[in-house]
Amino acid sequence: MKVQLKDLAVPLLLTLALLFVLEIFATTVLPIIGLHRYVIPFNILIVLYMGFKLQTPYLAILIFIVQYFHHFFTVEGWEMGTVAGVVICLLISYLRDVIHFSSAAMTVFVTQVFQCVWFFIVSLLLYSKLGDMSFILDKFWRFIPESIIISLMAPFFFSILDKFWTGSDEASLGEGL
Amino acid sequence: MKLMEAEGKKLKIFINIFVLALSLYTVSKREYNFDRMSVFEQLMIESFAPIQRLASSTQLSLGSLFDHYLANVSASKNNLVLRKKMEELESRLFTYEEIQLENVRLKDLLDFSSDIPHKKVLAQVVAWDASSDFQTLRINKGLTDGLSLQSTVVTAKGLVGYVYRLTDHFADILTILDPNNRTDVLVHRTRSHGILEGYHDGRTLMKYVTRTEPVILGDEVLTSGLGNIYPKGIPIGAVGRIERESYGITQYVEVIPGVDFSRLEEVLVLVRPNDEDRRKEWQALDMSDVEGGGE
Repeated sequence: MKVQLKDLAVPLLLTLALLFVLEIFATTVLPIIGLHRYVIPFNILIVLYMGFKLQTPYLAILIFIVQYFHHFFTVEGWEMGTVAGVVICLLISYLRDVIHFSSAAMTVFVTQVFQCVWFFIVSLLLYSKLGDMSFILDKFWRFIPESIIISLMAPFFFSILDKFWTGSDEASLGEGL
Repeated sequence: MKLMEAEGKKLKIFINIFVLALSLYTVSKREYNFDRMSVFEQLMIESFAPIQRLASSTQLSLGSLFDHYLANVSASKNNLVLRKKMEELESRLFTYEEIQLENVRLKDLLDFSSDIPHKKVLAQVVAWDASSDFQTLRINKGLTDGLSLQSTVVTAKGLVGYVYRLTDHFADILTILDPNNRTDVLVHRTRSHGILEGYHDGRTLMKYVTRTEPVILGDEVLTSGLGNIYPKGIPIGAVGRIERESYGITQYVEVIPGVDFSRLEEVLVLVRPNDEDRRKEWQALDMSDVEGGGE
């Protein structure tokens, strides 16, 4: 889908509202039910959706806005996620012809693959800052269940985000791209 | 049409390079000691945090409703079993009352925070960090309650961390479980110094303890007071694992924190009376850095 600047404001606000609800869920509800060690990174899901489905010159700015919004809920900051998001979107732009969301299983698979790329980029940046490999290793063990949950949820959330960005669910799972 | 597409591509390349460069510059400049937020950032957190608090309390209330009403379907069956148990427990009660009285006396003797010459602010945990990479908590007290950046946060069981970022009514606490939180500590029995860092699985690592130090399992670890953040003598936890090789100059010491971070609901923030002086010291240091850089 080709998205112009004037078309971005409303879907972006809706997307931020969704991210806001999901962040509240991840930071309050999940810890109360005992999930302290694992936090579901919904920001990654939204950034990946943007990379997969939006074709606009302003994509990097959209990713920055999502990450900036995310940093109100974490001390992680917005920078590393923005770098990872923009690099992944560049990769996707080159691979767009071979990426297809023909089924929910494909959506889950592709999301998982690009989450691995995300993990690699963020780990590289974290290692450059902290110089501690054990932290990255620990992050990797958390990444496995967290990323699988995100990938499994991707078809559902992508269909919701399709409605925000296209106004209908016709392009659900990427058909028509 | 082709001209417009070419223009779009140029714009995309420019924006991508600009956003990447800005992000990488910010990554390189980011310090994990504390974070001074802009007015906008403070305003946003001030807006979101009450909703997080509301979600936390709603969840707790719903849990209570479920426990007390909805889960009572099999209450009559349980009632018979519980009656028998009650008779048994009543006999134990007398013993426990004695222990409780003893406990109150011992608590008075210990009275954890009475020796610390700080203003104490009681705060409630309202949320946890949105990334599992960072071990931070959000509490419902901020600047208006007298908190300042790097104020120490404790519970009766020991050290929790320090105030990492701050708004008028909320604060984010960087806990000792976070690898970015480095605390100068000492072993109570041997007075051996080391630097405590967050590790994983709710454990912490005491680094730079020389191999010859006779640290043993169960040794109590306290803050040393060095580093100008934590007061001296706050308990942290106990040594839970030691690996001492026949070579090298340091030993591997794992510390299990006394605080159960998974059950943390209330914390105590210690605000130093001279925090204002400390802020001025930081400002003076910042100014000297700027002047030094300009030369």
